[in-house]
Amino acid sequence: MNGSRSVPKAGASLLSLYALLAVVFFVLPLAVIVGTSFTTTSYLKFPPEGFTLQWYAKFLADASYMKSMALSAGLAGSATVTAAILGVPVALVIARGDIPGRAAISALFLSPLILPPIVVGAALLQFGAMTGIARSFLALFVGHVVLIIPYVIRTTLASLAHFNPSLEEAAQDLGATRFETFFLVTLPLIRSGVISGSLFAFIISWINVEISIFNTTADLMPIPVKLFNYIQYNVDPMIAAVSATTIYIAVAVVLLLDRLVGIENAAANR
Amino acid sequence: MRMNSTLSLLLLAAPLAFMLAFFVTPFGIVAADSVNDGKGALTWAHYAKALGEAYYWDTLFYTFRMSLLVVLFSFLIGYPLAYFIVRQVRSRLVRSLLYIVVITPLFTSNIVRSFGWMVLLGRRGLVNDGLVASGLVDAPLPLLYGTFSIVLGLTYIMTPFIVLTVASVLQGIDRSYEEAARDLGATPWAAFTKVTFPLSLPGVVAGSLIVFTLSVSAYVTPSILSGGRQNVTSMLIFQQYGVVLNFQFGAALAIVLLATTLLLVMGYLFALNRSRRLA
Repeated sequence: MNGSRSVPKAGASLLSLYALLAVVFFVLPLAVIVGTSFTTTSYLKFPPEGFTLQWYAKFLADASYMKSMALSAGLAGSATVTAAILGVPVALVIARGDIPGRAAISALFLSPLILPPIVVGAALLQFGAMTGIARSFLALFVGHVVLIIPYVIRTTLASLAHFNPSLEEAAQDLGATRFETFFLVTLPLIRSGVISGSLFAFIISWINVEISIFNTTADLMPIPVKLFNYIQYNVDPMIAAVSATTIYIAVAVVLLLDRLVGIENAAANR
Repeated sequence: MRMNSTLSLLLLAAPLAFMLAFFVTPFGIVAADSVNDGKGALTWAHYAKALGEAYYWDTLFYTFRMSLLVVLFSFLIGYPLAYFIVRQVRSRLVRSLLYIVVITPLFTSNIVRSFGWMVLLGRRGLVNDGLVASGLVDAPLPLLYGTFSIVLGLTYIMTPFIVLTVASVLQGIDRSYEEAARDLGATPWAAFTKVTFPLSLPGVVAGSLIVFTLSVSAYVTPSILSGGRQNVTSMLIFQQYGVVLNFQFGAALAIVLLATTLLLVMGYLFALNRSRRLA
């Protein structure tokens, strides 16, 4: 197979140039934030003037930002674990179960993907007002689980789709119980789907504004909501340092995803 | 391992209960509220207002038009990039790096990404500096806080979805189809437009549907990049719930947005189906 056959030379260089511009388009807005976070000026400047870490020091010394970061991490972590525990069995039933209405079940669990998140958030505020959980960690938590459960289910389903059920039958023929089969055969085989789904789920919760914004208080404010409230009225290098930190975290999670399941796999099964 | 119905129901019990309690019930409350006059009696007044007043229609229409532009631009940027990643890049490392470049923005909040464009598009931002320095314009352009910045910011957020869905479909298309077309005398461009592109349409359709529904309901990006000078429907919904505190009218606006989006998506799929049958 000859590569220059499938994409001819002139076309190939044109396409490469276009791809390069697209890469610049992808990188530029993030690079600008990272760049300005090091400026010595008191206003946003790109390219930055000089180099300082004072904006990071200021942000790290601000207890309210640390509190918001900790809240977001705890929220995303607990919601992800819950979504995985609830979501993996759902995927197993959708793929293998012997019950009617599997299409409806799958539609129910995947629908948070297409519903406007602002509407999900508003609905939870109203529900919370009626049940007395409004503006509490519990309200944020259940909203985030609903939001991210589809990501776990979708990737787990994708990994269940290309896996041979006879491996499980073989285990059972050899005397393994259902539970042994699940933990020793099924789970290791769908591991990469569960991991990449959980990482996606974690990050979707970590960056969410729309659902959180309805159920926050001054004392209970996930970091994206705090950033959102700040950026609408004021921008300065300190907020660029906070934003840049979230970019470093995004890069770390992407690299972790690449390390654990391979970025190409993750991209295909997303 | 097939699962019998007892085991299936056992596994489903907790997740189903969770979704019923925290997803279906809240939506039921929203639906019920949209026809509640505030004192418990049935009324269609909120829908009459949401559908009857020009302001709400105009905003809804603007939201859809803006979303279509976002679909178009994210396709124009995303499709060639996906094609490049799948068909032209040979090195695994480069391919992985490109995926990392595409996925990292996806893992960064909409606020931070919109903030980046705020810095780039401002009067003293990089884009205006470049335009003025190159002599293309005399004075900085007002790029921020209008349709241009909203569409650009949303396109930036949505393009990764097009790249990923199109790339995963392109990966499944056998290159030998294109080679056969070439062997039979088709030009490279004809081989692409007549063979590969039509085969990749499912990815384009899936990607554009994701982008359209996400753009229609986007809240954060339009809020930041409109500078408060332009409303989209999700901003009106937020105002009703968060500022005006008219939950009933907010609910009606939410249902109108949801219903019109679903209608448009169904119309699109229907038209697609028809044209495929005619073709």
